[in-house]
Amino acid sequence: MRAALFSMVPYESPTAARGWPVAASDYAPEIAQASMDRALEFFELADEAGFDWVSVAEHHYAPASLTPNPMVMAAALTQRVRRARIALLGANLPIQNPIRVAEELAMLDTLSGGRIVAGLLRGTSNEYVTYGVNPAESRERFIEALELVVRAWTEPEPFGWLGRFYEYRAISIWPRPVQIPHPPIFISISSAEMAEFAAARRLNAGLAVTNVPRARESLAVYREAARRHGWEPSPEQVLYRAAIHVAERDEQAWEECAPFADPSRPVGALSTANPAIDEAVARAGYYGREGERQRARIYAAGELRERIETGQLLAGSPATVLAQAEAIGRELGAGILELAFIAPRPDSRRRAVELFASEVLPRLREL
Amino acid sequence: MTQSASFSERLVAADGFQIRYFEAGRGPALICFHGAGGLKLGRAHELLAAERRVIAFELPGFGASPPNERTRSLAELAGTMAAAVAALGIERYSVWGISFGGKLALRLALQQRERVEALVLCSPAAIRVAERPLPTGEELRALLYAHPERAPLAEPPPEVERKQRALTQRLIGPAREPELEEAMRRLELPVLVLFGSEDRLTPPELGRHYRRLLPQGHFVIVYDAAHALDVDRPEAFAALAGDFLKRHAEFLVKRESSLLYP
Repeated sequence: MRAALFSMVPYESPTAARGWPVAASDYAPEIAQASMDRALEFFELADEAGFDWVSVAEHHYAPASLTPNPMVMAAALTQRVRRARIALLGANLPIQNPIRVAEELAMLDTLSGGRIVAGLLRGTSNEYVTYGVNPAESRERFIEALELVVRAWTEPEPFGWLGRFYEYRAISIWPRPVQIPHPPIFISISSAEMAEFAAARRLNAGLAVTNVPRARESLAVYREAARRHGWEPSPEQVLYRAAIHVAERDEQAWEECAPFADPSRPVGALSTANPAIDEAVARAGYYGREGERQRARIYAAGELRERIETGQLLAGSPATVLAQAEAIGRELGAGILELAFIAPRPDSRRRAVELFASEVLPRLREL
Repeated sequence: MTQSASFSERLVAADGFQIRYFEAGRGPALICFHGAGGLKLGRAHELLAAERRVIAFELPGFGASPPNERTRSLAELAGTMAAAVAALGIERYSVWGISFGGKLALRLALQQRERVEALVLCSPAAIRVAERPLPTGEELRALLYAHPERAPLAEPPPEVERKQRALTQRLIGPAREPELEEAMRRLELPVLVLFGSEDRLTPPELGRHYRRLLPQGHFVIVYDAAHALDVDRPEAFAALAGDFLKRHAEFLVKRESSLLYP
């Protein structure tokens, strides 16, 4: 098993407001600078400690994330993270110009010497407000844009694109990706539609904002569809994201991450932050043919114990966390464990990374 | 005043006034309150009437109506207008208020919480900056419009303008009213507040106050428009206001198709 360290690079202030979009009335640039510095150090630490990947993501208009353009953060990481892969998990493809996405990822692949992982996602429901894209068309835009990104990376001659949602008369991107034919692509397979699409296109599978029982259902659809298309995903093609906290003793770890397990707080914090938006996006058909199941996944909350039991959160001593990670790997056949370290205090978060890297990661590799 | 062909002119008796209004369209009711310059039916009214019943009042004392020396406050005028709407048999409605009429719309919503569904406020005058006396003629038009070429040909005759100004000054109240702002904090209904990017009478920076005060307030800056933003950008304004009146907070999520070809 491999491990990725994921961070949304939050604005680290105890008074950061909820809701979405969040007013910037109380914004303090020095807090943002310190938060970003700390995040860079944190990614650097993960690289030095032996994490296989570091990952960033795209989220807008809220203190939950200071990387609305994760490509910019990834560019900084190419200069600080020397060994690990740098994963974009991801760029919100349907709300972006796909050519720009292809160009930026190719730049990053060049800057990093071929270490980019391209997570291409549809984003949380609120992001459809950000750039004014109709969420009813999200899935179709995503599918066309993904195909276009791959073409832009791989077609050696200038070409035009006459799509349904995108039209360009000439495309010929410079630089090109270092990885041939292109960086590995991960997409979210939480919905059945996307699980089937990923299987049909032999794309790697990502599972986030979920738990082990739900991920198992999604993976069953993915694997079954892959079989129909004549291939079998390997563990390296399956990524599972969970929250994590590690401390010397179980009780200490649970206590330190208790604020995360606010039972009223849904796992999909951004999707659910503005109910009117999520409602409108849901009504537009964004969540697909299993809309209720998808929204149940996002709105899921629970006590600390429940979050641990369902694999939404890994928490405890190194031995406990190792057992949890092993169980996830076994149950899901996931080869990449992407971890969001959620301890509110930077020092205990740092300690958690160190403990995980020294006592859990070496054993995980043997799996 | 330019009258649109599709609007019919009528009178309603309310609170001792004979109030003139213009009506067009069918569907949910939208009550319109004009600004200090009086009623000017325009392209925005017409566009909004395509999907709803638009009722544009001439407030008592404005335009052709006799001088109004009776009304003592904006709250009182709001009471008169609520009676006028009730006299038309309309039970639930939204209100679109422009400038002076925007403050009036807020007063009305505070009095009629059960009846008002949503507010659209264009360059509302409920919160103002240090005021200078308003100019007249071309200078005034330069303040009202970023695109005078799209505006009505003439402002009201001088005697009407004098009458309207005296009434507005008497009713509008101070630039900041703590009592009103406190009440706005508890006004639980969707409110869309728009300011023109070129507005020098009520600069767009005022919008942030409404966003902070109104629990369900949305603030939009209309590019390349001055104080009379519905005249400068009628198509854009009517499209946004229409979507907001239909969908309230959900208007944040755009539903126009981006499909180029099937």
